[in-house]
Amino acid sequence: MRTSIVRAALAVAALLASGSPLLAHHSAAMFDDKKTVEFEGVVKEFQLTNPHSWLLVDVTNKDGSVTTWGFEAEGPSTLTRAGIRPSELPVGTKLRISGHPMKDGRPAATWMEATRLSDGRKFNPLAGFAVR
Amino acid sequence: MTRSVRAAAIIAALIGSVAVSACSNASDRTTVLAPGVESPPPQDVGAHKKEMAALGLKYKTAVELFQGLRDQAKGGQRLSWSTLPDWSGTYTRTLAPGFAFDPDQPPDGLPTAKLTPEYRAKMIKRVEDAKKGIEWDPISTCAPPGHPRWLTEPFLREFIVTPDQTWLINEMVNDIRRIYTDGRDHVPAADRYPLYDGDSIGFWDGHKLVIHTNQLRAGIYQRSQPDYTDQVETVEIWQKADDKTLAADVWVYDPPALVEPWYVRQTYQRLSDPEKNLRIRYWDCAENQNNSVFQTNTGSTQFKDFTFTKDGQKGKP
Repeated sequence: MRTSIVRAALAVAALLASGSPLLAHHSAAMFDDKKTVEFEGVVKEFQLTNPHSWLLVDVTNKDGSVTTWGFEAEGPSTLTRAGIRPSELPVGTKLRISGHPMKDGRPAATWMEATRLSDGRKFNPLAGFAVR
Repeated sequence: MTRSVRAAAIIAALIGSVAVSACSNASDRTTVLAPGVESPPPQDVGAHKKEMAALGLKYKTAVELFQGLRDQAKGGQRLSWSTLPDWSGTYTRTLAPGFAFDPDQPPDGLPTAKLTPEYRAKMIKRVEDAKKGIEWDPISTCAPPGHPRWLTEPFLREFIVTPDQTWLINEMVNDIRRIYTDGRDHVPAADRYPLYDGDSIGFWDGHKLVIHTNQLRAGIYQRSQPDYTDQVETVEIWQKADDKTLAADVWVYDPPALVEPWYVRQTYQRLSDPEKNLRIRYWDCAENQNNSVFQTNTGSTQFKDFTFTKDGQKGKP
């Protein structure tokens, strides 16, 4: 039993360290797990859906234009387990968010970690896979 | 605090919580059994696994193993509402590296199944392709995982026990396996057709639920795991390992793919939910266009068009 527990703990640790979503519906092959992007932006929409949820964030570029980035995470129940509720990230919330971007350059990424700028609270979807 | 330090802190906290849980489980081995029903869980899990793996080798088919277990249980018992075990609560599978079918698979190792040369070659190719970023999962089309892959999915689970049926529920795509314990047999061979979760019959041996499943479709055990064929059959023994853990001894028989039965032990942890936040909802796999993917001409996975991008729009990181 101890070996299994340690292996499970290591699995969670590896998951968090990689920042890769488990993506139980589709492979993560379209994301570049060797690159990480991080932006400050404003929540445009939080799509709580199965099998994956999307946090859409408006990011202002250096030239003043705005790009809407999509950050993919697991579905609503896993987010609930991670303590992430829609009421915590309403439209207009300013945050800093990081993830592995798509290989083809489209503005989408895995959702690794978001930090709400108003109070520094962090939102990590992968924490939803920990057994508590 | 840097990202790496934060990640380390989170990891330490999680490992700590798991370790506390393990200590708690170790000191709380007593499962409350209904009066007159004796079915204690194994105390030495390592020895138990070896014993169960050896048991599988004694039987050539899943049917023979199931029958052997039924004979050993003298046909099993028919439980009443007052003698059913308490499997209530919301569970999830104990996380295994990469969703591996065998939780004992080393994090950087290969699946533990003893495969025929053809199926080993298939599995090696799948693993090597994944390392090159080429990966496609058949459930990307929103098809159900199917059994035995059903055992591996990491979402919420509930287990509904009644005298005549037990429902093993996986939140993902509203996937319910019905285990008939009312004494019925399988569907006659001439009437069988491939099913995602197969046809399952079972009996109770004390508080152990013994299940035989046939009539399955071909599939994969998980990504970077082997294939199974439509000849696959399983035998499972489910029971409480401790107050918070349901354990399943599983034997997979699949002659075209396996040179011997693949024995694994799966565990599912009851989640702490003091605020009663956890609910299993209807799972509509196709509700969000942003989750639509297709298989590329290289055999990998790619998103279709997103709702949030303009045509040809690229990110400006």
